[in-house]
Amino acid sequence: MRAPFDTDTRPRKDSLRLTPRKVPQQPIVAPPVSRLAVQLGRLKLANPVLVASGTFGYAREMQAFVRFERLGGVIPKTVTPLPRKGNPPPRTVETSAGLLNSIGLDNDGLEAFIEKHLGYLSGLGTALIVNIAGRTIDEFREMAVRLDEFPQIAALELNISCPNVSCGVDFGIDPRLTAEVVSKVRSACRFPVLAKLTPNVTSIAEIARAAADAGADAVTLINTFQGLAVDWRRRRPVLGAGFGGLSGPAIKPLALRAVCQVARSVNVPIVGVGGIASIDDVMQFLVAGASAVQIGTANFYNPSLAERLVDELDAALAGEGCASVSEIVGTLQFPGDE
Amino acid sequence: MSQVIDDASRVFLPGLVPDALAATVDVVEHEAMARDTFRLRLRCPELARRIVPGQFFMVRAPGRDDPLLGRPFALYDVYDEDGVPAGVDFGYIVVGKLTTLMSGWTAGESVEVWGPLGNGFPPPPTDGHLMLVAGGIGQTPFLAVAREALGLRRYGEEPEASAPGAVPRIIEHRPRRVTLCYGARSRDYLAGLDDFRMEGLEVRLSTDDGTAGRHGFVTALLVEAIEGGDRPDAVYCCGPEPMMHAVQQICQKHAIPCWLSLESPMACGFGACFSCVTRVREGDGPDDWDYRRTCVEGPVFPAEKLVF
Ligand SMILES: Cc1cc2nc3c(=O)[nH]c(=O)nc-3n(C[C@H](O)[C@H](O)[C@H](O)COP(=O)(O)OP(=O)(O)OC[C@H]3O[C@@H](n4cnc5c(N)ncnc54)[C@H](O)[C@@H]3O)c2cc1C
Ligand SMILES: Cc1cc2nc3c(=O)[nH]c(=O)nc-3n(C[C@H](O)[C@H](O)[C@H](O)COP(=O)(O)O)c2cc1C
Repeated sequence: MRAPFDTDTRPRKDSLRLTPRKVPQQPIVAPPVSRLAVQLGRLKLANPVLVASGTFGYAREMQAFVRFERLGGVIPKTVTPLPRKGNPPPRTVETSAGLLNSIGLDNDGLEAFIEKHLGYLSGLGTALIVNIAGRTIDEFREMAVRLDEFPQIAALELNISCPNVSCGVDFGIDPRLTAEVVSKVRSACRFPVLAKLTPNVTSIAEIARAAADAGADAVTLINTFQGLAVDWRRRRPVLGAGFGGLSGPAIKPLALRAVCQVARSVNVPIVGVGGIASIDDVMQFLVAGASAVQIGTANFYNPSLAERLVDELDAALAGEGCASVSEIVGTLQFPGDE
Repeated sequence: MSQVIDDASRVFLPGLVPDALAATVDVVEHEAMARDTFRLRLRCPELARRIVPGQFFMVRAPGRDDPLLGRPFALYDVYDEDGVPAGVDFGYIVVGKLTTLMSGWTAGESVEVWGPLGNGFPPPPTDGHLMLVAGGIGQTPFLAVAREALGLRRYGEEPEASAPGAVPRIIEHRPRRVTLCYGARSRDYLAGLDDFRMEGLEVRLSTDDGTAGRHGFVTALLVEAIEGGDRPDAVYCCGPEPMMHAVQQICQKHAIPCWLSLESPMACGFGACFSCVTRVREGDGPDDWDYRRTCVEGPVFPAEKLVF
């Protein structure tokens, strides 16, 4: 057997070794900062490679494939205040270079998350970003208050963008509601707040601006694009729930467009997500204006990819002569730009 | 090769396979088994050493976005080289994107696999009569099941395995009789009949169109056995959902312990995506069920647990 497909066959570069270090005069309190370290508002990450909510389970599922401590952070599946059974199967169907899903936020609720998963997730040696969704602004706020009891959490990501549940209100399509949910959560807890936005809007920059003005530390762009797969013989949608959200390589140009539009008009750190499956994809998102990235659907078919990308990113930045990630973020030049 | 990630402090949930591996491996052999049905042999010692009957692995075509995801395939058998497990065989029927592509693969082709995944069939549950009921391509898990039950081959880690996360396969029962009831659409879809010719295995066939074996559904063979005084002590079943539903009901009616292996479509195979869910009973009430992931809590379930 040859090397695992998802492990580079070249010898691994130790990212620390690339940055010459002086012998410290004092005991080291914080780990040495490598070129990969990034800061998103108040959130500091060892590197910009995160894994996207809903595509990494509760991390346990990935333990055979990923050394979690190598990642910039882990974002478990969306948690809701109360248990949700989720949508009837089929919940996913593959489409051309993409995946259409309608999971329906299947989860056991906040208290079960705290009891069953938080302990494990806290010990992974990487930043834990908890992704939450409520049906009302109060539910978001109450979840933030409860989670504030757990200082091992690094940040909250607000899922105001799931296309697959009818939560009553679609916060992420309304700038006013987006602002309100962000500011209520921000004042309810001490965590940095990431607002995860939906691309299913006319102007994503307008929503991002509302989130930024309300105090979001960063915006995560984007959740899935609403789509439909049709079984024409049966005259039925393929998915049990009807419509679904499209992800995977098929949506990468759309996600890059969203990142770029926001980067060029709003002053807020961006976490880019959508179809990332290689180091070239990561570099494209950084250049387009993302300060960090999330790997989503690719975890399903290349389960060690996220970890490998950390090494490859370090090499790619070195190749570009960059001493930090921020040197490459948003360097995209359009025709007519200065 | 797989990185078993550290120590005892990590809690393993039931069904999660902490030492699954992901690898790029070579196709070693590819041959026709029946109409539209093929057997592929992959060289992959680490997988072969650990996988047990009823477990599966994901197969993917590298370097393309379409088909994008891996697809699940059950272990057909493990093959040895120099007396040690060297790789796995799986049987497949051409139905869509990946299986069509696969039918063009030849020896030397590089493919991506990850596994072993899922729980597999339990070790033989009886010293009496074990009946295997297979519909269509649902026959694939039963070659290894039969060989293990008849003591012709060991699968999985040796009981003394000490690798972290390794779950040894302990065989406590040796069925006195093993019967395979195997139904297909028609004669030319019956696959692997030569492989199933082994000492101690009785094979009974059926076809929907009567071109071989009994004319009708394979469930009729099960009913016939029960009513003809040849009642099995345990039933393992894999096939299309309506057939498994019928087998569940027959076994329930006759109080025969039964296990079903589901073929729910999957996106990842290791529990991350929550798409391959099926309704699993949690209590006695009609609505007392929850969606559970087939890939990590199955694909094999005690029949009485499933709500069709
Ligand atoms: C645990 C397990 C073990 C299996 N073992 C075997 C085996 O040993 N041998 C074998 O041949 N097969 C086995 N299967 C089934 C096998 O995985 C599928 O046949 C395979 O995924 C088909 O891939 P494809 O790309 O060729 O087909 P696809 O192009 O993916 O689709 C095939 C057909 O299924 C339909 N389809 C696709 N997705 C869905 C969905 N979500 N809901 C409803 N319909 C859908 C398509 O429209 C099409 O008609 C197993 C499945 C499981 C879960
Ligand atoms: C099966 C599946 C489940 C998802 N579940 C969630 C979720 O629970 N919460 C969330 O915020 N995003 C969820 N997403 C969206 C992803 O986090 C990500 O934003 C999207 O898939 C785009 O990235 P990708 O193309 O790399 O997958 C899910 C995506 C998929 C494919």
